[in-house]
Order: sequence, then C-alpha cells, then structure tokens
Amino acid sequence: MTSPALEEKQKKYKFSEITAEPAVRDKFKKVREYFFLRESTYDMTNRCNVRCEGCYYFTGDKQFATENSAEDDWRALLEGEKKRGITFVVLAGAEPSLVPHLCGVCYETIPLGAIATNGLQHLPRQIDYRIHISVWGNDQTSLKIRKAKDMLARQIANYQNDPRAIFVYTFNPVNIDEAREVTSLLARHGLQITFNMFSAPLGYNGPLRHTPETLNQTREVMTELLRQYPETVVYSPYNIVAHTSEKGLHDLYSCSYPRMNTSTNIGLGRSFRQYRTDLNWDRQAACCVPDTDCADCRHYAAGSAVVTARMYRHAVNPETFKAWLDYVDTYLAVWVRGYDKGQNLCDQFIEPPPKEI
Amino acid sequence: MEKDISGTTLRIAQILIDELKLEDVTPETFDPDLDLVDEVGVDSMDLATVALVLRDEYGIRIDEDDYPKLTTVRIIAEYINNKLDSDD
Repeated sequence: MTSPALEEKQKKYKFSEITAEPAVRDKFKKVREYFFLRESTYDMTNRCNVRCEGCYYFTGDKQFATENSAEDDWRALLEGEKKRGITFVVLAGAEPSLVPHLCGVCYETIPLGAIATNGLQHLPRQIDYRIHISVWGNDQTSLKIRKAKDMLARQIANYQNDPRAIFVYTFNPVNIDEAREVTSLLARHGLQITFNMFSAPLGYNGPLRHTPETLNQTREVMTELLRQYPETVVYSPYNIVAHTSEKGLHDLYSCSYPRMNTSTNIGLGRSFRQYRTDLNWDRQAACCVPDTDCADCRHYAAGSAVVTARMYRHAVNPETFKAWLDYVDTYLAVWVRGYDKGQNLCDQFIEPPPKEI
Repeated sequence: MEKDISGTTLRIAQILIDELKLEDVTPETFDPDLDLVDEVGVDSMDLATVALVLRDEYGIRIDEDDYPKLTTVRIIAEYINNKLDSDD
C-alpha cells in the first residue's frame, strides 16, 4: 500500500495539468512575454573608485585589457550585437558610472539592460536601464571591505526616488546579520533590495568564502527579511533555496554559460559573450561573473540565467513549477525596467529537481 | 512497426505554429528541414515550451542534453518516433 504523499511524489503530471490553475497560467503567460531576452555583458572601463576585497573584476586577466572609450567603437559594437540578436545588455566592470557617455551609447542602441554599479556616482536619468547598486554590509563593514566611507548613505542619497534603482546585498560570512539593518534602512527610504551571495573568485580562500554554516545562517536571515519586508525585498523562497544550498548553481542546475557549456547550437552557449574593455571576448571565459570559482558560484546574475533556463526539469509537479515561476518573476523584476513582480505562488522550500534521465 | 513520420511532422509543425505564434505558415507549408534556430528564430526557452507540449501529446521525455540536436521539424519527428519505438 502506498501513502498519498508517495503517490503524489510519483505522479507524472502533464504540463497542461501543471498550468491548469489560473494563477499559474497567468504568471507563465506573463513571464513568457520576456523569453525574447538575449543577454551579453560588457566591461565598460578598467577603472573603479573603490577597491573591494574579493572583487571579480580585479581577478584574472581582464583587468589588464586596454580600455577603449571611443564612442564610435562602442556604437559599432552594440550595433553588431543587436544584429546578432542581443536584446539585453549588462554593463558591469569595473565601474560603469565612471563612463556615463558609453552607457548612454549602449542605451541608445539596445534599450533594455542593467548596470552594475557601486552607486557612488549618480548615472544620468536618461539612461533608463535597471541600476543594481551593490551593498556589502553596513557602513562600518563597507569601510573595512571596500575602503569607502558612508557608502550606504551616499548610495541612498544618489538613488532616492529613482525607480531604476535596486540595491543588491551580497551576503558573505561577516555581514549576514547586518542585512537586517540595511534592509530596514532601505525600507524606510522606500527603496528595493534583492540578494546576492559572495561567490569566491578563482584561488580565493579568504574569510568571505561561505561555509555550510554561513549558508544556513544566510538562509535564515533571507527568509526572515522576505517575510518582514515583502514590499522591499524582491526575492522568493525558491531563490533562497537555489542560492543558499551547499551545492553551487552548476552542481544544481548545470550552468548554461559558455564557460561551462560547450554547445553553440542554442541558448546562452550560442549567443552569450562577455566583452572586456578592449571590446574583445573569449569563449573560454564567457559567463556573467568570469574568474569566479564555478564550484562556489551562487551569484545572483548567474542564477538568473541558469535557473531560468531549466524550465523543463521544473515542470514535474505544480509546486515545483510555481517555485520556478517565482524565480523567473523575481529575475525579471530585478533586471527589467518596468516589470512588476507579482506575489510569490509557492511559499515552501522546494528542492531543486534533478535532471531527468 | 515504423510510425507515420509525415503525420508526426505535421503535428509538430502545428504545435510550433501555435506555441510560437508563427504567421503566414500552415503545417502543410512548414518546411520540415528549416533550421529552427537560424531560420525561424527559436531559442532554448521556446524549445523547452514546445518540448513540454510534445511531452503531453506523445507521453515521452526529452532529455535537456538533446535540445541542441533538435534543429528541424523532421529531426524532432524522428526523435519522437524513435522514442515511441523504443517504448513499444
């Protein structure tokens, strides 16, 4: 005799059954409108106005690429990107706000995108990309790790009432509890926050690398904050599972970026490139956080693509598919200007489904 | 027993037309050798959606690693028929 729970676990659902519930069907329809997004990332300059411990940009060779700041070259690059089907740009290393004219050129050519910035310089309002402002703890911790004074106060002053802005809190072993203070402060200012996980650069064995204990502590604090500040925290229970598991994203979902995926036929393996400041790219290094130790990668940007790409394996039962929909809804709200996140459909911690054999 | 490949091809073409909202094409006029990625503009998320509809329709599982190989309607039809044959 089998138990109802076991029967439910063994039941093979049709996709039409999984999407039969109106809330599921509606959210799938909503996120599906954005399946056209094809991303690539671009290092904009090799300069930065802070030096953070464990920075991805200042690891590996890309920091030594010659900086090309000619607007015509950037325009030609972006025109070419558009022609090969890129619809979404991520402007990152080292600090894009130091070259606002180049960010403007990108926006004029491909109008969907996001900029990863430390938020110490305000980006011109006409560049209507999502702006991700990195936070690594309270101002005392930022001073220690990033060597910059009053970071949060300056970031808030620069992006108060700016609908482009979302703060990205990177959890590392030394700042877990400070997330409460930071989230509370941002909530008081009516700003949004999402979560990232410190993912060690190659060869990094310093104190910021997560351990099983700090992953669990992070999971608890994320859960508490998501419940306490639902209007401020852009996240879902499944995001928490995906990013705080002992296994990294590659082990859980098989990373689809070219660095870990040899297929060039379809998807990220075909279209994704990570351009350096000399406007060249290298397939061997191509992912959204190059020079990260893949085994330790729990990065929010990587997850946005890697978890999203695994729709098929999440379509095994209604709850797992709801969890995936919440993840994709979160990803779009974090990355796409004007996309409004709906309510999370799944409030449980769902285990990441294995690949079907 | 060998399955009717032309029937499968027509059905897959219909699913692609419905799911991708393709215009000015019918299952009968859909070239089964058209490259879905290069010539139709299908990407991995589209293909995953189509794979789920095919899973419902034919009761087969499509391995994630097989997606990159499913580049034309004819290849998908052969893939499905092979799966069905191996289940017989």
